[in-house]
Amino acid sequence: MDATSTPIAETPSTASLFREFADGVYTLAYRILGDRHLAEDAVQETFIKVMKSLHTYRGDGPLAGWLYRIGYRETIAIARRRRDQPMDVELLSRELEPSAENVEKSVVERELATRLDKAIGSLTDPLRGAFVLRDIEGLSTTEVATALEISESAVKMRLARAREALRVELQEYLL
Amino acid sequence: MKLTCDELDTLLSEFMDGSLTAAQEQAAGEHLATCRQCSAELSQLQGVGELFRLHGRMELSPEARDRIEKAIGLA
Repeated sequence: MDATSTPIAETPSTASLFREFADGVYTLAYRILGDRHLAEDAVQETFIKVMKSLHTYRGDGPLAGWLYRIGYRETIAIARRRRDQPMDVELLSRELEPSAENVEKSVVERELATRLDKAIGSLTDPLRGAFVLRDIEGLSTTEVATALEISESAVKMRLARAREALRVELQEYLL
Repeated sequence: MKLTCDELDTLLSEFMDGSLTAAQEQAAGEHLATCRQCSAELSQLQGVGELFRLHGRMELSPEARDRIEKAIGLA
């Protein structure tokens, strides 16, 4: 059976990619879009693209970078479509309260989660993308550069700016 | 090479990542060993990463995961 007659969606590699990266793409999308439903849309669109283009991945770069590049593009496309509605950090706070995953968290944890949301929400999209991929998802600088389609020196610059802004923003948690 | 606090400030993020040149890293280390303010700033930057690593990651809800898996043909 040749590759074109086999639905890519049924191949184990696609399923394993989804298992490995779905939460990471969701984190990236949520941290940029600030909306759970839009972030879920971004995950779905990302993996539709992944399925369609998996055969084009030649292994000549980091797989995580390749996949997150698709995720980042899809996320930014969604962000651009609703550009007239910038992320509302107050809405983010309200959204966090009733979610099932937060109901069981302590008040202190919820407060911290809200503060982290607000802090990261204060960054620009490019800084957020670099910070999320490097410091939350743990990608290497090379992988982040691949994902964001920028140079490694640009990644380092964005990271430095993001980290410094968050350090200032979160002083009370860092004493 | 001796670094001022301002010069070190521009290198702290890369110092954390271990991506400085050997000479830069040595100079940064020497400055940090004697400067309490820069050392505290480095600790705070490391704390930012720690906070987000522990509390910043998101997970799809089981319902959303199922829905997306069905939509893309994995379920």
